[in-house]
Amino acid sequence: MEARVAGVPEDEESGLLPRPSAAGRRPSSRGARFPPPPAAWATVDGPLGLPLEDAEGHARRFFMWGFACLPFLWAINCCYFWPVLRSSVASSPAAFAPIRPYVVRSAIGFTIFSVVLVTWATTFVVGGERLFGPVWNDLVMYNVADKLGISGFMG
Amino acid sequence: MADADAAAVPVDGPARTTVLDSLGEDITRIVYPVSACMLLVVLLVSLLSSPSSPSPFSASIAAATGGVSGGDDIPTALITALTFVVAVTAATFLLALLFYLRCTPCLRAYLGFSALSVLLVLGGQVALLLLSRLRLPLDAVSFALLLPNAAGALALAALVPASVPIALHQAALVAVAVLTAFWFTLLPEWTTWALLVAMAIYDLAAVLLPGGPLRVLLELAIQRNEEIPALVYEARPVDPRHGRNWRLWREGRQPGADLDASSTVEVIGEVLQPDSGNSSASQVHEPATLAGDISNSRPRVTLAAALSSSDSSTVAQVGEVSALQEHRVAVAEMMVPLIQPRPQRSEEEVEDEDGIGLSSSGAIKLGLGDFIFYSVLVGRAAMYDYMTVYACYLAIIAGLGITLLLLAFFRKALPALPVSIALGVLFYVLTRTLLEEFVVQCSTNLVMF
Repeated sequence: MEARVAGVPEDEESGLLPRPSAAGRRPSSRGARFPPPPAAWATVDGPLGLPLEDAEGHARRFFMWGFACLPFLWAINCCYFWPVLRSSVASSPAAFAPIRPYVVRSAIGFTIFSVVLVTWATTFVVGGERLFGPVWNDLVMYNVADKLGISGFMG
Repeated sequence: MADADAAAVPVDGPARTTVLDSLGEDITRIVYPVSACMLLVVLLVSLLSSPSSPSPFSASIAAATGGVSGGDDIPTALITALTFVVAVTAATFLLALLFYLRCTPCLRAYLGFSALSVLLVLGGQVALLLLSRLRLPLDAVSFALLLPNAAGALALAALVPASVPIALHQAALVAVAVLTAFWFTLLPEWTTWALLVAMAIYDLAAVLLPGGPLRVLLELAIQRNEEIPALVYEARPVDPRHGRNWRLWREGRQPGADLDASSTVEVIGEVLQPDSGNSSASQVHEPATLAGDISNSRPRVTLAAALSSSDSSTVAQVGEVSALQEHRVAVAEMMVPLIQPRPQRSEEEVEDEDGIGLSSSGAIKLGLGDFIFYSVLVGRAAMYDYMTVYACYLAIIAGLGITLLLLAFFRKALPALPVSIALGVLFYVLTRTLLEEFVVQCSTNLVMF
């Protein structure tokens, strides 16, 4: 994964989707004409994504909004700035330094949220009525839906 | 460099291979999400509808429409479809008026509210149906945490594509389309068919008539070089050459229109770079192709970003006039898609583009309404038999291919709904009346199993 950051820029430009085989000819011919692109891109989308100067503010906003009971924004932050997260501290470009703290904290926050939620959901599923008693039937979602009458509209 | 130019300008073997690869990649990148959307709707319809469920649907819809008793008949279906088309037309003209008066923040706020409503309400209902049907023992606390998070994240991804990965933006749009299409399949059968045909006819009129609402919106977007606030699926461009402006729309005509749009842009880009004579030629062509000055500013998340963007564009205009001119000619080849809001029966409205076009980088654009109505057609076919599903799916993909061919031929934004809906309805009727009888006869006589 570090090779994607420090390696050939044309590979990074293709982002997540593989380019057709004929595209191998175009980057070399394009490199002769245009100025060389930046050595690394902060986002998974490469040149199609967010510019490097906007990345720090964007990462900070997503990290702060994640505290408003929206941990999925932390996950989006980690996925979007995956090259920043995955590159090691030694070999990452200097432009990644302001972005890295927010992305790392987003990863830590989302990991904590995932562990807590999965632990609770697994305990609820595996424990069942033996562990929680009659209150289990009051908490399970399809019984709640039956009580509220929500599922009556479609079901 | 000279060899590359000589190879690029005339269409010889390697260039033709490049054109074919680029064209195929463009087509697959628009066919894959359409197929995924239709497949998900078919799965939802097959999983969540049961033999006993039509009665509650009819009862609830009859109650919603004011206690209209009786079954689903054709006059009621035609009245419902006509009402829907009139509501869509009024909403589209209102949208054009707001866009003309530059009320873009109002449009974006309304769009956010619509997307969030679809994801929260319809997504919650579909999730509850899935949990009840599959008897998954998820607790209320986890559900209360996960549903707002997923809805908020998907709504943000659908509305602000610059701040999320492209794959997530595309997935969010497909999710909105799947939920809306699944809701439409709950309508009675004749109402659904009348609605599909009426929307196809409306799409044809709104796009191609001179006074049509989508045509008006299109011309406004061309004059201002602005991005229409709408839910539009944009295929990832094959050649990520225009990094920051690849979501803007352009219209124009260039010599050598027989080439594909993206390859034409590539050829022009390669030609214009080394030669100043071509630059002067582009200066000659520029007033004829573009109606106004191109301002590359985009709606930003914050005001500071907008100010910095405008400052950078001003500096760019002052410093590099020739580069801007080349950029204008390079992006002038693109087409502009269309826009259309779609109000629904349960006070939930989704605004989306209904048409097909090309963005500034040559990627194909398809309105979300096309996704919705393609999926409604296939979902309605899934309620009958899977043979009709296969036939309708192939017909819709064939119609999409025909529309893409027409797009390459006419080089302007076209309605993507009429050809596919016409072929889909035709294949549905033929499959239901002829193919089923044929297959039943073959099975009875043990000719095929």
